[in-house]
Amino acid sequence: MIDLSDLAKINERYNMFSEITPETSTDAEFAFSAKDNLTAVGFQARAGSAILEGYRPVFDAACVERMRSAGGFLVGKTNMDEFGFGSFSMNSAYGVPRNPYDIERSCGGSSGGAACAAAVIDGHVALGVSTGGSIACPASFCGVYGMAPTYGRVSRYGLIDYGNSMDKVGILSGDAKDLGRYLPLISGDDMRDPVSCNHPPLQKRFRKLRSVAVVRGEASAGVNSAMGSAEEELRSMSVDVETVSMDTLRYALPAYYVLASAEGSTNIARYCGLRYGRQDGDLTLKFDDYFTKMRSRYLGEETKRRVILGTFTRMMGFRDKYYAKALGVRNAIISEYKRIFERFDAVLTPTMPFISPRFDEISGMSALETYHADVLSVPPNLSGLPHISMPCGYSEGMPVGMMLVADHWNDDILLSAAEEWQKRFDARSPEVSL
Amino acid sequence: MDRETVTKVARIAHLELTEEEIELYRKDLEEILDYFQVLDGAPSSDALLVNPVEVSDVLRSDEPRMDIPADDLLANMNTYERYVRGPRVQ
Amino acid sequence: MKIGLEVHVQLPTRSKMFCSCPTEGSAEPNTRVCPACMGFPGSKPSLNGEALRLGLKLAKMLGCSIPDTTWFSRKIYFYPDLAKNFQVTQQETPIGLGGVYMLGDKPIRITRIHLEEDPGKIKRTADGSSLIDYNRSGIPLAEIVTEPDISSPAEARRFLASLLADIRHTIDLEPDSERSVRCDCNISVGKERCEVKNVTGLKNVERALTFEMVRQTKILKAGGKIERETRHFDEERKVTTSARKKEFEADYGYINEPDLGVYHIAKMASEIENKETPMEMIARFVGDYGMTQEAAKQIVSTDIGLAGFFEELAAATDAETAKTFISGVISSHWKGFKPSRGSLDDITSMIGRFAKGEITDVECNMRIRCIMTGDEDSCRVCSDDLDEIVGRALDENPSVIADYAKNEKAANRIIGGRDEGDRRNILLRGDSQRRQAPDI
Repeated sequence: MIDLSDLAKINERYNMFSEITPETSTDAEFAFSAKDNLTAVGFQARAGSAILEGYRPVFDAACVERMRSAGGFLVGKTNMDEFGFGSFSMNSAYGVPRNPYDIERSCGGSSGGAACAAAVIDGHVALGVSTGGSIACPASFCGVYGMAPTYGRVSRYGLIDYGNSMDKVGILSGDAKDLGRYLPLISGDDMRDPVSCNHPPLQKRFRKLRSVAVVRGEASAGVNSAMGSAEEELRSMSVDVETVSMDTLRYALPAYYVLASAEGSTNIARYCGLRYGRQDGDLTLKFDDYFTKMRSRYLGEETKRRVILGTFTRMMGFRDKYYAKALGVRNAIISEYKRIFERFDAVLTPTMPFISPRFDEISGMSALETYHADVLSVPPNLSGLPHISMPCGYSEGMPVGMMLVADHWNDDILLSAAEEWQKRFDARSPEVSL
Repeated sequence: MDRETVTKVARIAHLELTEEEIELYRKDLEEILDYFQVLDGAPSSDALLVNPVEVSDVLRSDEPRMDIPADDLLANMNTYERYVRGPRVQ
Repeated sequence: MKIGLEVHVQLPTRSKMFCSCPTEGSAEPNTRVCPACMGFPGSKPSLNGEALRLGLKLAKMLGCSIPDTTWFSRKIYFYPDLAKNFQVTQQETPIGLGGVYMLGDKPIRITRIHLEEDPGKIKRTADGSSLIDYNRSGIPLAEIVTEPDISSPAEARRFLASLLADIRHTIDLEPDSERSVRCDCNISVGKERCEVKNVTGLKNVERALTFEMVRQTKILKAGGKIERETRHFDEERKVTTSARKKEFEADYGYINEPDLGVYHIAKMASEIENKETPMEMIARFVGDYGMTQEAAKQIVSTDIGLAGFFEELAAATDAETAKTFISGVISSHWKGFKPSRGSLDDITSMIGRFAKGEITDVECNMRIRCIMTGDEDSCRVCSDDLDEIVGRALDENPSVIADYAKNEKAANRIIGGRDEGDRRNILLRGDSQRRQAPDI
C-alpha cells in the first residue's frame, strides 16, 4: 500500500502540484504524477494557464493511459510555466513550486513541479514534457534524473501543444533505474500521434557509454568545478572524455526561440473562451472583440510575449528572415551533431550554466536574460535528440546537473549511462520538513 | 521595433495591450530581435523542413469511429440545443 | 474579361480528414465530433489516407504535376467555426501543380490543387450571438485553383458543370449528396480584379459573375476605377456586396504543420489508376463504335452507368444493336431506373434473344420497359399468358379481326392507351395473325 496522506501537506510547502488526488492511500503498484499539460481523466488539465480553468479532459494522454494500465496510480498534476513558456516555473497561474533544497529558489522549468515531486516524494516517478529543456533544467535544479527521449519516441497524444516540432514526453525520478523501467512502457507507435509512428523501437538492453565529447561554454565557477570532478569520475569508469567545439551551437538558442514561439503562437490561437476552460465572456460582443477580451484577460505575461514574438516571426515580410531561416539552421545543427556522433557516443555539457537562482534574482532578469538560461539545454531539444540530466555535484548546497546528449533513437545508451552513474555518484537528498 | 508594430502584431494575435504592456513588449522584442540577427550569418539547409527526425507517410484508414461520446465533450460546454454558443459574427 | 475560379469540393470519405468522426449520419448539431475536430487541447490530427488518395486522383485527372513530397501548413485566422483558429491546409507544397482542363477544345489552365479541412457551420441568433455546429469541421476538401482563363460568366458555369461531372466520375462523388461545391470567383473586366467569396452552386456562380461583370463595366464606362476587394454574394437579392474592411487585419502567418510529417506522394500517385473521364470516354465511343459525337455525348452525359452498360451490350451483341436499344428504350427509362446486376443481365439476354430472332423488336422493347419500369401494362403484355390476354381480347371483340384486315387502326379499339402502336403490332404480328383473321 502506498501512503498518500502527507501529499496535501507536502504540497502546501512546495506547491509542486496544481491538483492532487483526494485519496489518502492506494493499493496500486506505483504512484506517479503527470505534468499539467498532459490530459488525465479525473483531473483538470490547465497547463499552468488561467484560460484553461475548468478544462476537464475526457481522455487520458497516451503516456498516462499506459502508466495507469501498467498499475500506476496518478496522484496529481504537477505545476508548470503556463503552456511550458518559462525556465523557472514562475509563469504559472497556480502558484510557484519551491526548490526542495532551498524554498527561496526556483525548481527550474517548465516541468518544475515534476522535478520537485521527484526530489521530495519517495519512489515517485514524474511524467514531464520538454520542448526546449523543460525536463533537463528542473531535473538539474532539483538534483534528480530527467530524461527527454528522441522526438517521436513517446506518443504526444494528450499533450497540450507548445512547439509541436519539439515537444517530447519524458520522465523525471530520483532513481535512475525508473527511467529505464518506465520509458519503454510509454514508448512506441500510437496512431493517435502520427509523429510517434514508424521509428526504430527502443531497445531494452545495456549499452555501455564509451566516449563523450565535452563542449565547453560559459558556466559559473561552481558548475565548472562540479563538471570537472564528473569528467574525472567518467574517466575512471573508462569513458573516453575529449573536448570538442561545435560552431553551430551558438545559433541554436535564437533558432529555437523563433521556432518555438512561431509554433507556440499558433497553438495558443485556439484559446479564445469557447468550448472549454473559461467561457464566461459576453457573447453579444463581435467575435474579434470577444476573443481579444478573453485572451487578454486570461493569458499570462510570458504567454503574451511569446505569442507576439511568434506572430511577428511568421508574418508576411518577416517569415523568411526568421521562421524559414530557423528551420534551415536547425538542419545545420543536426548535421554538426551527427558528425560528432560518428566519433562519440554522447555530447556532454552542464545542463544549466548556473545553479538554481533565487526568486528575487529571477525577478530582476530581462526576458532575453531568462531565455539565455536555456543556452545549453536548447540545442538537443531543437534537434530532437535524446538527452538526460543527471546530478553530478553540489555548489552552495544546491545540486548541479550534467547533460548527456545522444544520437536520434540512441536513448538506450543514455538510460544505461544513468544507471552506471548512479552507482558511482554519492547523491544527497533534500531535507523535507513539513 | 516600435509601439505601432507591437500594437499591430498584438491585434493580429487578438491581444489587447495596456500602455505599460506595449512599452514592456516593445523593449523586450527589440532586444530579442536584435539578438536574433545572429541567424543572418548562420549556415542553413532544407533537409528536413517539418520535423527534426523523419516523420513520413503515416496514414490512417478511412474507418469511421467515435471513441469518445460527443455528449461527454458537450458536458462542460456552453451550449444551446446541442449548438456551441459563440460570439456575434456580424 | 478574365475569370478565375477557386473550386472547393468535399471529398467523399467515410471519416473526416484528420480524425475518425463519420462524415455522414445524424444531422443533429455536434453529434459527429471529437476532441480533434473541436480543437480540444491535447488532441492530435491523423491524416485519412483516403482523402490523400482521392486528392491525388483529382490531381492526375487535371493533368497536374505531382511533387515528390508534400506536407501541410497551418493558416491562422480567428473565426468561431474554426475549431483551432487555424486551418490545416497546404501552402508550400500542394499535391498538384500546373495542370490543364479541356473545356471542349478550350484549355483552362489549372494553377494548383491542394487539400484542406472544412470549418464548422455558424447560425446567427436573435440576440446577436451565434450557434456553432462542428459536424462539418474536418470534412476533407480539395481546392482547385484555375488561371484566369475563363472569358464569360456562362463559360464559367459550363466549365464548372463539366469539371464537376469529371470530378464525380473520377472519385465516385454522389451527384445529390449533401456534400456541396463552393467557389471563390475572381473576375476582372478591366485591369483590377474582385473576388466574390464562397458562392454555392453553379447557378449562383453564373449570377454572381454576371452581376460583377455588369457592375464593373458600368463603373469603367462612367470613368470610374475598380477597387481591388473581396465581395460577398447575396443569394436572395442576387447581388454582390463589398465585404466590410476588417478591423482585424488578416496575416495568415503560415507555418509547416509538424503534427503530421511529410508524405511521399509521387510514389503514391504512380500507383493510382484513374478511371477514364467522361470527355475521354466520349472520344473513345466515337472512335471505337463509329458513333457521332452527339450520340456519344448523349449516352455518356446521361449517366456513366449507362455508358458502361452500352459497352457491355455492344460486347454481348454488336455495336449497332447496342446503340439502337441504348439510345432508344433504355435511355428513355434510365432516369428513375435502379440498375441491379440482375436487371441489367435480364435486359442483355432479352436483346440477345432479339438478335437471334427469337422475339420481335417490339416485344423486346416491351419486355425491357417492363424490366426497367415495372409498368403494369407493359408487364401484363409481357407475361407468359400473353396468348391468353390477346385471345380474350379478340374473343370479346371479334369484329376487330375482320376490321383489321381492312384497316390496321381497328386494333386500337380494344387496347387504347399511349403505347397503342406497340400493342397493335403485337396483336398483328403475334396472335391475331396466328388466328388468321381473314378466315373467321
